[in-house]
Amino acid sequence: MQQLVNGIFLGSIYALFAMGYTLVFGVLDLLNLAHQAVFMLGAFIGWLLAVEFGWPLWAAVIGAVAAGAILGLLIERIAFAPLRGRPDAHFAGLISSIALAIVMVAVALGIFGPQTLRFPPGSFPSARVSFAGATVSVLQLVILAVAVTMMLGLNWLVASTRLGRAMRAVAENPRAARVLGINVERVTLITFMLSSALGSTAGILFALAFNSIRVEMGLAIELKGLAVIIVGGMGSLPGAMLGGLLLGLAEVFSVARIGSGWRDVVAFGLLFAILLLRPHGLLGRKRVREV
Amino acid sequence: MDGLRWIAILSVGALLLAACGGDGGTSPGAEGSDAAAGATDTPSQAAGDCTLDEPVKVGVVFSQTGPAAVYGSTQLNGAELAAEEQNAEGGVTYELIVEDDASDPAQGIPAFEKLINQDQVSIIMGPTLSNTAFSTDPVAQDAGVPVLGVSNTAEGITEIGDYIWRNSLTEGQVIPQTIEAAVGAFDLQKVATLYGDDDSFTVSGHDTFVAALEEQGVDVATTQTFAKGNTDFAPQLTAARDADPDALVVSALAEEAALILQQAAELGIDVPIIGGNGFNSPAIIEQAGEAAEGVVVGAAWNSASDDPATADFITAYEEAADGAPDQFAAQAYAGMNLIAMAVESACSAEPDAIRDALGGITGVETVLGEFSFTESRDADHPAVVQIVEDGSFAILE
Amino acid sequence: MADFVRTYNAVLVFMAINGVLAFSMYAVLIAGQLSLAQAAFASIAAYTSALLTINLGLPFPLVVVVGVSVGAIVALLLGLPVLRLRGVFLAIATIGFGEMVRIVALNLDITGGAIGLRPIPKVVTLWQAYLALALCACFFWRLRPSKLGRGLAALREDEVAARAMGIDVVRYKLFAFTVSGAMAGLSGVLFSHFTRFIAPGQFGFERAVEALLYAVVGGTGHWLGPVLGGGFLTFLPELQRQLGVEAGWLRPFYNGLILLAVVLFVPGGLVGLGRPLGVSRRRRFGAAEKAAPSVEAASPAGPSGNGPLVRLEDVGKSYGGLAALANVGFCVERGEVVGLIGPNGAGKTTLINIVTGLTQASTGVVEVRGTRLRRTPANRVTSLGVARTFQQTKLFAHLSARENVAVGGHRVARDTFLRRLVFVPGARRDEASDLARADRCLAMVGLLDRADEPAERFSYGDQRRLEIARALCGEPALLLLDEPAAGMNHVEAQSLADLIRSIAARGVTILLIEHNVRLVMRTCSRVLVLDFGRLIADGPPGEVARDSEVIRAYLGTSADQPSSVPEAGP
Repeated sequence: MQQLVNGIFLGSIYALFAMGYTLVFGVLDLLNLAHQAVFMLGAFIGWLLAVEFGWPLWAAVIGAVAAGAILGLLIERIAFAPLRGRPDAHFAGLISSIALAIVMVAVALGIFGPQTLRFPPGSFPSARVSFAGATVSVLQLVILAVAVTMMLGLNWLVASTRLGRAMRAVAENPRAARVLGINVERVTLITFMLSSALGSTAGILFALAFNSIRVEMGLAIELKGLAVIIVGGMGSLPGAMLGGLLLGLAEVFSVARIGSGWRDVVAFGLLFAILLLRPHGLLGRKRVREV
Repeated sequence: MDGLRWIAILSVGALLLAACGGDGGTSPGAEGSDAAAGATDTPSQAAGDCTLDEPVKVGVVFSQTGPAAVYGSTQLNGAELAAEEQNAEGGVTYELIVEDDASDPAQGIPAFEKLINQDQVSIIMGPTLSNTAFSTDPVAQDAGVPVLGVSNTAEGITEIGDYIWRNSLTEGQVIPQTIEAAVGAFDLQKVATLYGDDDSFTVSGHDTFVAALEEQGVDVATTQTFAKGNTDFAPQLTAARDADPDALVVSALAEEAALILQQAAELGIDVPIIGGNGFNSPAIIEQAGEAAEGVVVGAAWNSASDDPATADFITAYEEAADGAPDQFAAQAYAGMNLIAMAVESACSAEPDAIRDALGGITGVETVLGEFSFTESRDADHPAVVQIVEDGSFAILE
Repeated sequence: MADFVRTYNAVLVFMAINGVLAFSMYAVLIAGQLSLAQAAFASIAAYTSALLTINLGLPFPLVVVVGVSVGAIVALLLGLPVLRLRGVFLAIATIGFGEMVRIVALNLDITGGAIGLRPIPKVVTLWQAYLALALCACFFWRLRPSKLGRGLAALREDEVAARAMGIDVVRYKLFAFTVSGAMAGLSGVLFSHFTRFIAPGQFGFERAVEALLYAVVGGTGHWLGPVLGGGFLTFLPELQRQLGVEAGWLRPFYNGLILLAVVLFVPGGLVGLGRPLGVSRRRRFGAAEKAAPSVEAASPAGPSGNGPLVRLEDVGKSYGGLAALANVGFCVERGEVVGLIGPNGAGKTTLINIVTGLTQASTGVVEVRGTRLRRTPANRVTSLGVARTFQQTKLFAHLSARENVAVGGHRVARDTFLRRLVFVPGARRDEASDLARADRCLAMVGLLDRADEPAERFSYGDQRRLEIARALCGEPALLLLDEPAAGMNHVEAQSLADLIRSIAARGVTILLIEHNVRLVMRTCSRVLVLDFGRLIADGPPGEVARDSEVIRAYLGTSADQPSSVPEAGP
């Protein structure tokens, strides 16, 4: 039971991170490898606001989300916008986002140093709840609630708002969307901002959950994020949620059942198998491209 | 032809590079070796009042970027502090030439080659990680430049050759003492172990723990592993808790250590936690707070020692750097002082002379306690077994 | 110079080793495949070779051979299942594979787990590393203009079109993958026998990304790209060291900035910087042209047996219950020019896809030159002597017109790569004659003077003519033209009609799908009419134009409308 709770908790953070990834991929067909740096910076900015500036935690989280949106804007402007229209835009975007991630990580190293930063003891409420043999802290519950709210919010946004419709139109066919009077540039920018806001939120929640913030924190989750969006289906938001939860549970249970040394073999073996059997993921839809 | 044009461009580029490299590479190095050669010609003087005209070049290779930057940064502080103190004393002065190995063996090798061939240093301190040392130290061995490792704890480092030394105790030296003290204090019957399985430091630490536990007749009820960069240890800790052990034995790097303590407390694990070297830092206590109480750590450096040298070191360090020193800083500080002792007793900047002088170091006072090098160029000094009480390290009785 | 080499020995060796790894990435990128398993191949080869050296004391050259073979074999085995994935999916599957390899290496005893494997004797010298690099470079230098190299480029540009040109896509991809594995293996052997120590962490995801960076920063447009990319990025930290940039965060910061600048401002990679300076490809091909004996016009593939070229019997095709074709049956005889018309959605393109093997018929019998098609891949159908153009042009956009056409000659060209690799002169002759054949086809459609321009710069009408030239270069017995006049004006359509007639005059059988009924009536000896997946007419143009059912199908009204088929004039 405890393991189940652990798995859901871990999975919800993976899912939040992966949704940002998959949003950009789904709408714009671009893989943004600077997403992990946003995750890392989100955690650092949240820490900066809460510990150095003494903001209350909720305000620090909101600050980190806002900062994430700004980072998304910068990433789009610096690493992707200049490439638009180039025949190798896909490859080049991959590389330029890696380059930007290197710069962002270096800046974080310069400002915050290599040490692990932590929130001082007593920063969070220490109350905990027990049910059915599992212990959950109030903080964990709050984190879970924030994560789930943001996921549902994003789903609603994409499914039911005008902006969401515009995003889906761009995803279908950017040229047609432009003809229909959609400002593709603006939609692209907003997509990046939303995506990075999610990544940044995942970062600060992760930092709160495990009380550990360091420059390399994005690397570990980057690969897992990729695994999640593949398992769930590239570009599918509910897929990313499902994939995140699955990966969280798979990790936790394979530790318990198979032994932790081989845990990641399970995760990546699963990834490999799913790709071969269902190349479009569990919830991804096959994209029909004209022959 | 396309190809020929490119070959032409490449060779022009190579020539340009050669030109730049030649300028930077030869001239200062040649002077350095002249000076060193001159120094050996002067009649040897009693240790302590040796004077050398040129500063002695000490290469320092620590990880300042990459995953090991956490250690590299305090190491550098410790080494720089010691060098400053030595330089203030006069007689022999030291010039530290600092290079970053980026926690990567492939970056460490060029750093070593640059220090040896271009800067022509007398001795190299570092590198931070044992894995890097396995690739870099043979370079120095082949070139006949001594290396003093100040944080390499893996087995086999000094076997690389007779120019390779270290002042860091191996886990094999510290851990058996730790387990023996813990078994005595807590009457352990069975324990659960937890370790990082993708890092040579934590793996060899765990292996040593297991051997020591076996020797003391303690059962290992369950063994859990995690990977570098993990932040969620709840599954492993839950599994360990369910095995109902008398103690939890953890071999982890500092990164993971504080998290493990916090999460163990959250899961209600109240048995003692016996940690490897990674737990040996005041920062852990600061970060884990309450959760760190009762943690047992074997260490090469006793920060709670009432030895005045230790107290002075801590004060000076806190003044120079931001924060309290950890064992890595202390070992680097002691390492620089050992190098100074060797240089001054040989009264030479000549690598071979320094190597020979290192071999003569026995029973000297350092912040690590009374220090000698063993026959096999490893460190020999007392280890301490500490327990966290009221937010600071105390000696486990 | 000697001093320089001594001081920078390690950096220079790493530049070569990373260059070899970059070539390994280059091998898949030039075939349009993004694979990130290179670090895993290198890892497996590094461990295998190190274990052989340590435990068996095998001589280094033998160890290199084993390492390279192991890399190649693992790549081949991995390639078999994963190569049907495309783009980012392939990339992520290979990342998954790489992680599995890393974790297995961490958990095995024989690899030393996290402790790593050592001591591996350091045997790699500077010249050996550069010899390896030079061999890789030579491989790709010889590869590019060969039939194989051209095929890989075509595959990168457009997989479907490449298959339609007769290229065995699966084999080509496997070739690229295997070469990539072999070169990654080579870099792994060199790495382990230079650093004396290997651990799983050195071959993780980051290493794979490094390989990608080397290849892309160097540029994938030229075989020297990987040398430049690997060399430049490896030298960058050393350069900063020399310039006195303080160790710490500034170095990765500048690394990132420089990388960003290269990607943003130097499209095509570092190798692209050299482009404007020098000689274009024109001269190389020019030389080939001269060497080629000027033979008469392209001759169609000889007859094989008697009977019709194409025979369809009772063919049906349905997509999820929706019938695109039903009970279609007809024959195309040798030397005919058959027109296939019908309203939009009548099933014309489906029919042509079935005849060329791009799709399979759900029911019925399809025979091409006496061979019955049953899930026969398109490239095999092409080898029977069938060539086609596409309704929406599918040219290899970044290849020159001449190369586009030369790819079309895949079926009749001889493989030259292996002979090229060892500089056998016959290869050069064969290539010259391939290009000469391409030039003759270009001349037929009137585009020879623009042979060196990339296909993407051609106007719509010219692209269509280029496609026809490409199809002709395979010397087909049967040419299928899918709406070649779409988007053409009257003048262009007129010259297209002349072109079709001149092709037919050379004895090529033509199946022409067209909306422009006037064109069909002018050029065809027989016309088929499809409506809603059914064949409603089959006969000489004049007869079909008066057919009441055809008129109804076209006008959508009752048959008593006395009008004839639009634009249909005798």
